[in-house]
Amino acid sequence: MNLRTASETLSFIRELEEKAALFYEKLAERFPEKREEFLIFAKENRKTNKQIQMAYQSVITDAIEGCYAFNLEADDYAFDTDLPDTAKLSDAAAKALAIEGKILACYALGAEQSGSLLADVPRNFKIVMKKRNDRLEKLKSFTSS
Amino acid sequence: MAVLDEPIKGVPMAKNYINGEWVESKGEIIDVVNPATYKTIGKVGISTKEEIDSAVQAAQEAFHDWRRTPPVTRCRYLFRFRELLEENFEELSRVQTQEHGKCIDESRGETRRGIENVEVSCGIPTLMMGDCLEDIASGIDEYLIRQPLGVFGVIGPFNFPFMIPLWSAPYAVATGNTVVIKPSSEVPFSQTKITELAEEAGFPPGVWNMVHGGRTVVGGMLEHPNIQGITFVGSTPVMRDVIYPGCGKSGKRCIAQGGAANILVIMPDCNVEATIPGLMTSFFGNAGQRCLAGQTLVIVGDDDAFYKDFVEKVTDRARNIRVGYGLDESVQMGPVRDKQKKERILNYIEIGMKEGATLKLDGRKAKEIVGNYPDTCFLGPTIMEKVSREMRIVREEIFGPTMGIIRVKTLDEAIEICNESPYHNGHAIFTSNGKSARQFQYDCISGNIGINIGIVAPMAFFPFSGMAGSFLGILHTQGKEAIRFFTESKVCIHRWL
Repeated sequence: MNLRTASETLSFIRELEEKAALFYEKLAERFPEKREEFLIFAKENRKTNKQIQMAYQSVITDAIEGCYAFNLEADDYAFDTDLPDTAKLSDAAAKALAIEGKILACYALGAEQSGSLLADVPRNFKIVMKKRNDRLEKLKSFTSS
Repeated sequence: MAVLDEPIKGVPMAKNYINGEWVESKGEIIDVVNPATYKTIGKVGISTKEEIDSAVQAAQEAFHDWRRTPPVTRCRYLFRFRELLEENFEELSRVQTQEHGKCIDESRGETRRGIENVEVSCGIPTLMMGDCLEDIASGIDEYLIRQPLGVFGVIGPFNFPFMIPLWSAPYAVATGNTVVIKPSSEVPFSQTKITELAEEAGFPPGVWNMVHGGRTVVGGMLEHPNIQGITFVGSTPVMRDVIYPGCGKSGKRCIAQGGAANILVIMPDCNVEATIPGLMTSFFGNAGQRCLAGQTLVIVGDDDAFYKDFVEKVTDRARNIRVGYGLDESVQMGPVRDKQKKERILNYIEIGMKEGATLKLDGRKAKEIVGNYPDTCFLGPTIMEKVSREMRIVREEIFGPTMGIIRVKTLDEAIEICNESPYHNGHAIFTSNGKSARQFQYDCISGNIGINIGIVAPMAFFPFSGMAGSFLGILHTQGKEAIRFFTESKVCIHRWL
């Protein structure tokens, strides 16, 4: 599915973030030793959704190109959250890193495409990408545990 | 993506709101039709003269106490109103899409623009301040104070059912006046919803009134001796032949905003990739039904390769625009408001072809309607080439998703075309050259000028400008000019002996 409008793109991104949040909540149950970290990730995802929604609703006007701001292929960013029962923390972290990779790629291309068109929205995409670096480092450290 | 839920359920009646009460009109009842589904979504009454009189009388009676309410208190009502608008942001946006047809992104944009006007009017204690100079002569001081005038009429158009009345009404009540709003009877539910929130915000009865209807209501407002001024947004013929002379005859203040046929100039040095989305929004956004929409594209220069490549890129992008019901999040262009408007646009395309234009992209029938809705009000984007400056499709307002392309050799020639247009609302240039941009800004006659912006919509703290053909009056809606419009400057000179 080709995403073009701001409305459908941000709905799609919200779905990605929420799906990842649910994944982290499951990991929190499964790996009590990293419960706090995973719950923080889930909370951050939902906070990100609010932040981006607020940026969109604050900046959207008839003068900007909301209906023409994106050209993303949704399938490129699809991910599953299935984890085998036998999976260890390192497997879960590897899976999480793959999911984060998809989400961050979506933000990166979205920010590039809408850069001069949607003002605060791409700026917020970049803020999220920057913040996620810490998470990526943590997840990488889990893969070696 | 799924189609978002429709907020208007059943077939409700849009009632008048007079003196704090919701009352059904005794006038003729007409259907409100969703232009995408072509289903009746509600009904609205065409109010009678007595109903207008009743609203104006209520507003007149409320004025006495409301003007004595301190500005800091008045703005607290507006703060509450603003919060309610924000809380209902999504529903308000969907109502616009359901009754008007525009895409959800466009409706949310409209909601934001409307709320911004309420936000600006919340600053009334500062905005309404006057001037003072001590000792204009020894022992004598002079003051200027701004006072409200009474009842104002606010007449809204069909194309921005939510936002446009908010260019005026919040400023009117913030300055201590009272209002009677008349939304377009084609799209009465956006203002109905706003008025419900104004009621919830607690405005005293009679401060904020709404009367649905058409010409009878407009005529009643123009003739009414207790209405001090009118703001109007609509077509140029009505602005020029009805509103402005009507206000002049009865001594009312007037802000009258009319139509447009905006011209967008493309310089060969423009950033093509960044320009094209702006052109799509300008020409085809809101299905072309806005007074800041582009209608004619003037491409400057004698570089055939640039011209050909640019037109191909624009056409490709336009050809792929998704047309459908605006509540489908994937849709980029909704229907036009009704069958008659569609016929009018089709007629202009025929006129253009008879006058020598050629169809580069034929949008007379949408190639595909996402969701298979009836094609009653849908059009696709139309692009016409070989257009010349004297053609009616350049000089008259089409108000639809069409682009006529003119080719000229120089920027001077492009500016001449802008300046000989009967409308001067929102011309724009796309260039990476500062000198060209400055020349355009300096020489082009236009109330709003865009430099690499296709829709030159001023923010709430700037006036929504407009010039000859597109505007009659002196002060404009929005921001500080609205404050001036809704107040009288009273000069007081004090000498205490």
